[in-house]
Amino acid sequence: MMGSLRRITAVAGNTFLEAVRQKVFAVLLVFALVLIYGANYFTEFSFQEQFKFLKDLGYASISLTGLLVGLLGASQLIPGEIERRTILTALCRPLRRWEFIAGKYLGLATLLAVMVAIMAIAVGGVLGWKEAQLIAREGSDPAVAAAIQKEARDPRLLQAVLLLEMKLAVVAAVAVFFSTIATSTTFVMAMTLMVYLIGHLESVAREQWLESGEVASWVAKAFLAVVAFLVPDFNLYNLIDEIIAGNAVSWRSTLEVTGYSAVYIAVLLTAASVLFEGRDI
Amino acid sequence: MGWFRGRVLALEGLDMEVKRGEVFGLLGPNGSGKSTAMKMILGLLRPTSGKAEVCGFRAGTIAARRQIGFLPENPYFPNFLSGTELVRYYGRLSGMGGAVLEKRIQELMELVRLGGEAGKRPLRTYSKGMLQRAGLAGAMVGDPEILMLDEPTAGVDPAGSREIRDLILELRGRGKTVIFSSHLLEQVEDVADRVIILHRGQKLREGRLEDLLTRKKEWEVNVQGLKEEDRKELRGWLEKRGVQVVREGAPRERLEDYFLRSLPEEKRK
Repeated sequence: MMGSLRRITAVAGNTFLEAVRQKVFAVLLVFALVLIYGANYFTEFSFQEQFKFLKDLGYASISLTGLLVGLLGASQLIPGEIERRTILTALCRPLRRWEFIAGKYLGLATLLAVMVAIMAIAVGGVLGWKEAQLIAREGSDPAVAAAIQKEARDPRLLQAVLLLEMKLAVVAAVAVFFSTIATSTTFVMAMTLMVYLIGHLESVAREQWLESGEVASWVAKAFLAVVAFLVPDFNLYNLIDEIIAGNAVSWRSTLEVTGYSAVYIAVLLTAASVLFEGRDI
Repeated sequence: MGWFRGRVLALEGLDMEVKRGEVFGLLGPNGSGKSTAMKMILGLLRPTSGKAEVCGFRAGTIAARRQIGFLPENPYFPNFLSGTELVRYYGRLSGMGGAVLEKRIQELMELVRLGGEAGKRPLRTYSKGMLQRAGLAGAMVGDPEILMLDEPTAGVDPAGSREIRDLILELRGRGKTVIFSSHLLEQVEDVADRVIILHRGQKLREGRLEDLLTRKKEWEVNVQGLKEEDRKELRGWLEKRGVQVVREGAPRERLEDYFLRSLPEEKRK
């Protein structure tokens, strides 16, 4: 057990280190510039609108950056190692293939978690900076100052960060799954994007189909059930939009979605390990 | 293999055994199945039929892989790591850690002459010879019984090549089993106890070098200080006894030895 853990953390550490040395964190600089630019935009609007804009911008930037890094990183994980043949020198050791998959995924998930955390802290910092600016300008009235503070220090944003981390972790797991059967990174990216899109559309399509009553035959129902089982429902993460819009989302719902994500990740990684086990290197 | 691609028979009916403590050479032209055989022993490829065992364990199992240190044909290493980090990574993949691993890394880096600053440099700045030496240290980190080296001297200069040869001999001295492939036949001749010759996936010959290469009907004596008249007399003496002189003349040094002897002392190391 200890040996397994040591091997998994070795692969994970190496994956993380590779990303760091390839200067993946440099994208955070672009992110920071976008935020600083955004913070000085729309200053003529009300403080509520300014905070709403900043939160929207922050979430969209974190989401896009995370998705790009996750997608590009995950699709490189296994095909990249096979292409460079570095996989030979790893898998010839007393390392089980599932340990290799788990380590690779853990390394990428840690990278995404660290990046999202840094970006979230940066958004928090910019919101604080905006708060100070607005209080200095408009906060002579204690009631206004309190309202500004409430907008800037919204603890629900932590829920949004957790949900976004889980969403990206599921996307990365989908990419890892495809990378165990793929020979090229393009295939992995195309398939993952397809699953991402279907995952966003499936619940809408399901409601449309089943409620219209026209095609709700057993074939359609079976097909929808298979799609619902195979493809994660990415619409569940729309809770993030609710939080950003200022609506209350319970911790119970947040934890339910977290649990759903964890189950999908476990299933995807198990399937990836089974497929990878039989692959000739 | 893949969709719309035919099957390729990489190895057929290969039957071989490597004894503990011997240096075993896998010879053959490109595409003869040397690397495939090695990958099967490592469990990276699965044979369609037949089986391989390593120290009594089924090839490809964790127990079997624990017995083998592998150096691939080209230095396929994560080049963002330094030499020391590479060996540490492979050590951890072999289940090692802590002070035991750090001590082992230090010993090995000294052994392959990559100690000190050289070990801290990124692999992308290494020469081919340095990469092979770092790879050898990585292969040896788990202290395996068997070292499997796929073309260990390919692309390495004569001095580096000789170092690797000396290292193989040293490993044999320590009781390790070494299986290696090479198309540099002189080097194989220098170090191998036994060889197998493969061609298009099939075994052509196998045996001890001594048995395969010794011309048992001939006898060779190398002498110094033989004068011209003595030489004539000796030839006459041999002809009188019905002995056929097959070859006669001053022996030539091997180019590799001459080249290495021509280099300044520090370049030879």
